[in-house]
Amino acid sequence: MRVVVADDVMLTREGITRLLTDAGVDVVGQAGDAASLLRAVRMTQPDAAVVDIRMPPTHTDEGLVAAQQIRAEHPDIAVLILSHYIEPQYAMRLLEEHPERVGYLLKERVFDVANLIDALRRLADGETVVDPTIVARLVARKRRAGPLDKLTEREREVLALVAEGLSNRAIATRLFVTERTIEAHVKQVFLKLGLNTDSDSHRRVLAVLAYLRNMT
Amino acid sequence: MDGKRQWRLPHRGCPQGGIVASTEMLRRRCHNRVMERLRPRLAVPARPALAVPSRLAAPARLAAGLAGLAAAAGALAVAEGPGRSTTYAGRSAAGAALTLSAGLALIAAGLVICLGPRPRRTGDLALLAGFTWFAPAWAAWQNGPPLIPSVAIVLGGFTFPLTLHLVLAYPASRPSSAPARALIAAAYAEALLAAAVLALFRDPYLDPGCLANCNVNVFLVRSLPSLAHGIGVADRWFTAAAAAGLIAICAARLVAGSRPARRRLLPVAVPAIMFAGTVAARAVALQGATVEDPFNAALFAIFAVASAAIILLAAGLISGFARARAERRAIARIAVNLDEAPAPGSLQSALAEALHDPGLRIAYWLPGARRYVDASGRTTPEPAAKSGGTVTRVTRSGRTIAAISHSGAAPGLDRHIGPAIALGLENERLQAELLAQLGELRASRARIVETADAERRRLERDLHDGAQQRLLALSYDIRLARAGAAADGDTAAQITLAKAMEETGAALEELRELAHGIYPAVLAEAGVAAALATLADTAPLPVQILRADDRRYPAPVEAAAYFAVAEAIDDAARRGADHAAVTVAHDNELLVVTVEDNGTGRDAPMVTLTDRVGALGGSLYLKETACRAEIPCASS
Repeated sequence: MRVVVADDVMLTREGITRLLTDAGVDVVGQAGDAASLLRAVRMTQPDAAVVDIRMPPTHTDEGLVAAQQIRAEHPDIAVLILSHYIEPQYAMRLLEEHPERVGYLLKERVFDVANLIDALRRLADGETVVDPTIVARLVARKRRAGPLDKLTEREREVLALVAEGLSNRAIATRLFVTERTIEAHVKQVFLKLGLNTDSDSHRRVLAVLAYLRNMT
Repeated sequence: MDGKRQWRLPHRGCPQGGIVASTEMLRRRCHNRVMERLRPRLAVPARPALAVPSRLAAPARLAAGLAGLAAAAGALAVAEGPGRSTTYAGRSAAGAALTLSAGLALIAAGLVICLGPRPRRTGDLALLAGFTWFAPAWAAWQNGPPLIPSVAIVLGGFTFPLTLHLVLAYPASRPSSAPARALIAAAYAEALLAAAVLALFRDPYLDPGCLANCNVNVFLVRSLPSLAHGIGVADRWFTAAAAAGLIAICAARLVAGSRPARRRLLPVAVPAIMFAGTVAARAVALQGATVEDPFNAALFAIFAVASAAIILLAAGLISGFARARAERRAIARIAVNLDEAPAPGSLQSALAEALHDPGLRIAYWLPGARRYVDASGRTTPEPAAKSGGTVTRVTRSGRTIAAISHSGAAPGLDRHIGPAIALGLENERLQAELLAQLGELRASRARIVETADAERRRLERDLHDGAQQRLLALSYDIRLARAGAAADGDTAAQITLAKAMEETGAALEELRELAHGIYPAVLAEAGVAAALATLADTAPLPVQILRADDRRYPAPVEAAAYFAVAEAIDDAARRGADHAAVTVAHDNELLVVTVEDNGTGRDAPMVTLTDRVGALGGSLYLKETACRAEIPCASS
């Protein structure tokens, strides 16, 4: 797999590069800001870009803007945003326009190389990646009694994995059951929550996140 | 709504509540204090005792009035006497009527003005001009004592300079411009010179232009007919030139004056221009004539117009006097109304209305800050006299209180302003000072909060870019070390490093929470609505965002709204609420934030929140289980 890494802090950038290289991933470019990231992506046409959300000049959301631009220009190149913030807002903003091949992970998670490689692989397969911490926070959000209480333990588990961006097949693998079982669970969950069951696997991530966020 | 759930205003127990919630109360208190202190002084009559130095004492003026009547009657008698064909008054009934009406009108105007509460030079001038107006008629007294016509001839030359002086000095008692003063001085000097030369050297017997009195000149020293003739002609032409100057100055004043000034000037300036016109016309008409024959139709017409102009002038003087009196009364009425605490600026509008001068402005002097402010405490430039306007400075016990810039139409405004108005001005000045200080205080509070917010934002960034990054690097190194230990088969090191990794992870987690608590990055980057959504994600109780405006506002406004909700939700949780509802809405230049919960009743004030909202000039309203913050904002 060929990857471009963008982070304005050299230490982090080098660290990620080394982790990826050790894991056999080909890091074809490095960038310290959004402009050079976009240049590197255009030049090297990688499979994925790993991008820090906060980069010069304003250190606000340059990474997000660059990610959206990459997704718009190169539909085949996946983008993984790394962030310090547990902000569903940012993740959802990323998913809104191009819901596939985008990921939002907390920075500390990527130093567990297995997590990083897994996320990149899922993105390359066309899935979506949302950090489990964000999903866990949304699921655990304080609510008044509502449809979420009607879900079984297993259904809640499936719902969380859907929100993390996993496909039915990936969920089945994760939970050691058949894909058919997961399909049934998903259908049941969506029915109980009143969500549109026709959503494809990318759109459903955003739908579930929005549901979790707005259901109080 | 039952009384228990009423919005409370200002916040109970909040020391700054008064400032935050209402400046009106303070203002009123200040007014009352000032008025209380000054009430004894107010009790003295607003109008000072009539000890204003006058040029003529009141009995003398009455005598002057009677003398004027006598002069008029005498003039009539003289005109009907042997010399009747030599004067306009004796020429016809119309001539007599014109002569009498014009002279008496001037005398009447002079008396009215002189007997008013503030006698002015204008009145004296009008009286004198009235007397000299009759002089030509008296000069024709052929069978009376020779002194009378001799004196009358001398006095006759002063009607024009007196009228000129009267008009150019109007409406003040002193002419305002240097050319006007120069013209007046020149006119008096020339009239004096001509009168002296003619009195000493003109022999009526040898004067070919003599008509009215050709018998006597008691002052004659030596007969110099050619000198007397030359002076007579020169005098005529000089007077004509001075009349042209009068016309020019009057026209210039009318053009340059503000609308109120013009309205005031017009009734006097127009007859004056008319009169000056007749003076010039007479000079031209006499150039070809050997004698001033009252039966000459053109000359009589000129005389008739001049008389009419004088009558109009007198009427203008009287109407101006009445107007000034009405304005003084209007100002006195303001003083009466001052007993109630007036809103800031009401004195300015009251004065403007009383003086029919909408452009009138009052600026109050703050000696401490060494600057001028308006009634609401806003800094204003030092008042400067605009074209056609003037600035009147009002002082009390030697200290400047205020400067009033106005059209200049009300001469002696400072004298109109009795102690009561000056008191009102002083009171409004104190209010303005208070409001100015309040404004500064508010600005300073806003700056403090703004600085604190900027500091919080900087701290958050420093944490993010510094400590968080370093911890990340550390956790990376530990991971590498653990991988190394695993490769070496060092189980003990592996366990220790795994523990270290866990600790770094926890430290990162805590640091993130800390940074978010200090200043949520999402607030600065995405606004109030986004930040509140995140707040609701982690709130200790279900929080429903019923309405959140996506708009962006200035950073201090967003921070105030966000922290208001955060604190209200913490408070709700503390009071055992299991649900809170939040709305954020833009309403008419206000960002209105409400938080309602179902906890027990509030028992403590939210002082920091009151301060934060108050610093932006907003208000915080608290009910038992609801809180509403109104923050002034200009949507950006």
